[in-house]
Amino acid sequence: MRIIARLDVKNDHVIKGIHLEGLRKVGSPNGLAKAYYDAGVDEIVFIDCVASLYDRHNLFEVIRNASREVFVPITIGGGLRCLSDIEQSLDSGADKVAINTAAVRDPSLITRVARRYGSQCVVASVQAKRSGTGWEAYVETGREKTGVMVLDWVRRLQELGAGELLLTSVDQEGTKNGFDIPLVKAVNEAVSIPVIVSGGYGQPRHLAELLRATEPSAVCFASVLHYRQAQVSDLRAAAAAAEDATVRG
Amino acid sequence: MVEAYFGLPEQVIFCKRCVISNQRPSSTVEFKHQANERKATIGFDEHGVCDACRYHDVKEEGINWAQREKALLELLDKHRRSDGGYDVIVPGSGGKDSAYASHVLKYKYGMNPLTVTWAPHKYTEIGWKNFENWIHVGGLDNILFTPNGRLHRYLTQQAFVNLLHPFQPFIVGQRIIGPLMAARFGVPLVMYGENQAEYGNKPDENYVPTMDRKFFSTGDAKDMVLGGKAVRDIVAEGKYSLNDFAPYIPPSAGYLEQRNVAVHYLGYYVKWDPQECYYYAVENTGFQANSERTEGTYSKYSSIDDRIDMFHYLTTFIKFGIGRATYDAAQEIRNGKITREEGVRLVHKYDQEFPSKYFREFLEYIDLTEEQFHATVDRFRSPHLWERQGDRWRLKHQIS
Amino acid sequence: MTAKIVVLDYGLGNVRSVGNALRLLGAAVDVSRDLATIDAADGLVIPGVGAFPQAMQNLSEAALIEPIRDYMRSGRPVLGICLGMQILFDRGTEFTSTDGLKLIPGVVDRIPIPAGEGRLPHIAWSAVKRPDSGRNVLLGNLAPEELRFYFVHSFAASTVPAQFVTGTATYLGRSIVAAVESGNVYGTQFHPEKSGPSGLKVLGNFISSCQRGEVHG
Repeated sequence: MRIIARLDVKNDHVIKGIHLEGLRKVGSPNGLAKAYYDAGVDEIVFIDCVASLYDRHNLFEVIRNASREVFVPITIGGGLRCLSDIEQSLDSGADKVAINTAAVRDPSLITRVARRYGSQCVVASVQAKRSGTGWEAYVETGREKTGVMVLDWVRRLQELGAGELLLTSVDQEGTKNGFDIPLVKAVNEAVSIPVIVSGGYGQPRHLAELLRATEPSAVCFASVLHYRQAQVSDLRAAAAAAEDATVRG
Repeated sequence: MVEAYFGLPEQVIFCKRCVISNQRPSSTVEFKHQANERKATIGFDEHGVCDACRYHDVKEEGINWAQREKALLELLDKHRRSDGGYDVIVPGSGGKDSAYASHVLKYKYGMNPLTVTWAPHKYTEIGWKNFENWIHVGGLDNILFTPNGRLHRYLTQQAFVNLLHPFQPFIVGQRIIGPLMAARFGVPLVMYGENQAEYGNKPDENYVPTMDRKFFSTGDAKDMVLGGKAVRDIVAEGKYSLNDFAPYIPPSAGYLEQRNVAVHYLGYYVKWDPQECYYYAVENTGFQANSERTEGTYSKYSSIDDRIDMFHYLTTFIKFGIGRATYDAAQEIRNGKITREEGVRLVHKYDQEFPSKYFREFLEYIDLTEEQFHATVDRFRSPHLWERQGDRWRLKHQIS
Repeated sequence: MTAKIVVLDYGLGNVRSVGNALRLLGAAVDVSRDLATIDAADGLVIPGVGAFPQAMQNLSEAALIEPIRDYMRSGRPVLGICLGMQILFDRGTEFTSTDGLKLIPGVVDRIPIPAGEGRLPHIAWSAVKRPDSGRNVLLGNLAPEELRFYFVHSFAASTVPAQFVTGTATYLGRSIVAAVESGNVYGTQFHPEKSGPSGLKVLGNFISSCQRGEVHG
């Protein structure tokens, strides 16, 4: 299970919200990325969390700098809307692009990017919020409903050619109260592409609880890292312990 | 020369630092609020920067917060009780600001607060949930005061029709519930959160920790004006007696003095940041942001407990050209969360959005038809702000 | 003496990352498809991310296939990364059967998934095992705990004669060819430019072999 550091970026700062709300500054994008790389993180995800809101792209410079000193896979997301955005992203040094809002507005974008650059660089990003007995997909940093249910949507995204899924729980993210385990399990079982889980980690037992139910391909960590409550090595140890427990249990 | 209603400044200018315009009215003494009043508005200095931004500079650099906190501790020490009695009244709804104020007073400063809520007109689901969590997760005692709905609706309707200010009766009651309960319970200290002066009332109001007496004294209750109508005229109509107005009649300054009630702002003693209140509330009182954005703005956690709240902002937009996105963005610019450029974009994107989700409910609440609603609204479009283009209204001055 | 490395630019692959990594390690790097530049290089790196047929088509359209063969014949080191390694083999079966550069025997096909039991692409940091003996320029000097690299692929090489295989990984119960060496031709299925310090060490080994001016007949 990969350990990924997630950096939500606004202008020159990494910010950390709760339920995707709030813009509290917690550090510098390149500074934190390098620190996490040095600490042995498996991947870095940079999300421009206000790109759709402001209709602009600010991350390319951050990515260019990151690719000079961070030698693990880099994913960029936030406001990527068309093939030329993708091209610019990859040219800047990103390995993968995460797409949410644009895919909901025009699903064919996923296919077009996958055809041109390969599925392995297309990460379909889904923001899920509990709704009735299921989950609804949100866009624009959890600000707008789509009327689309998550389980239907993720199956469709796989068909369209997404190589991976980045699944964020709006209900849990930033709370450090644990993952939305039913959500992760349902999505993980609905698709056969790798699923990256984001949102909710606070303590090692959250990973143990998650892995008892289902094993995602990767987990993103944000709050605990940015607030210095855990180091990458702690997360690796927690993941290993959780995996052991699952195997033995 | 185009006429400007309400005595508003004829020329529209926008603050160079935030997005507020010079049309923003200062807080009124609501129970004297007449339809033909001239509005006092936010001040701008010779550099084109508004009072609220200037006050923010003072907040950042000119105030010794350690000293202010010391003053807070002294004040609290004087009032703190350990015999089981309440020692501070905290008015609020369980939204992020009152959640922060009440929780911090209890758990950081060791006070024994009684929170007091003036009920919203119509609770939203998320508002009710947050209210309950405030009490049950945050761990606070609360009294919820709900005024007689029939009169409240009538006054709201009158306020809408006569003043295009549907929230006027609400504000009247909300402002006095704190001191009223303090006097009734024998608790001398009332602690609000922020001072409205932060947003552009007279700046010197910021330097006083207490609420101005002018918001309290009144002579004969029948002289009060609510919803643009004198109370004596409403009573004369026969449906309501003076007794029905109990929730709106402010205690006299003399009465409060007799009971030693002092009304303070926590925002005077502690550097206030509404966004940080959000984080605090999520982490401590079970607060949750709304699942969708509020109409008219980009925010999901600011003032989300009343289904007719967005109509307050619609009316400020009509009367002053200032919608909710402008208010929210101005505050966040000052607190360094967003840049002015971002604020401008947000205003363009959301300020003019019509609150359609609860429109039907609002019309029912104030018992108006849609035609009557629009006819009323249009009467308040000052020619210096609005012009007719075909079948649409256009705001003449937009921020850039 | 600074090694001059050319990272082949043929429209596929994260050339910026590969270039950055090589530069960090002290090489002088050109990202290029220019024949004269390629010809002057001490070493050639072929990156690649995407589909096998697309890669061969791009190379063909850019008239790079013969130059790569010439370069290989000159005996100077060539390193194929990920798809760049896959096209070194005889053939790929992605979409349709396409000829590769045929520099190392082997066929590239889809990793078979045991019924309902696994996901593709293989996206993971996986441990790589070395054969006990034999030349191993790329991986030879890594400590056991360093033998962990980043893989992202759905296709892998098979039927590669053992003498060319210098590293294997395991995925879904199947042994994956992770690294190959044949004379001056090297290949890694994993991305050394994305595998942290371990990967940088592998690239460093490649650069050293370029510096040594090793020429293999």
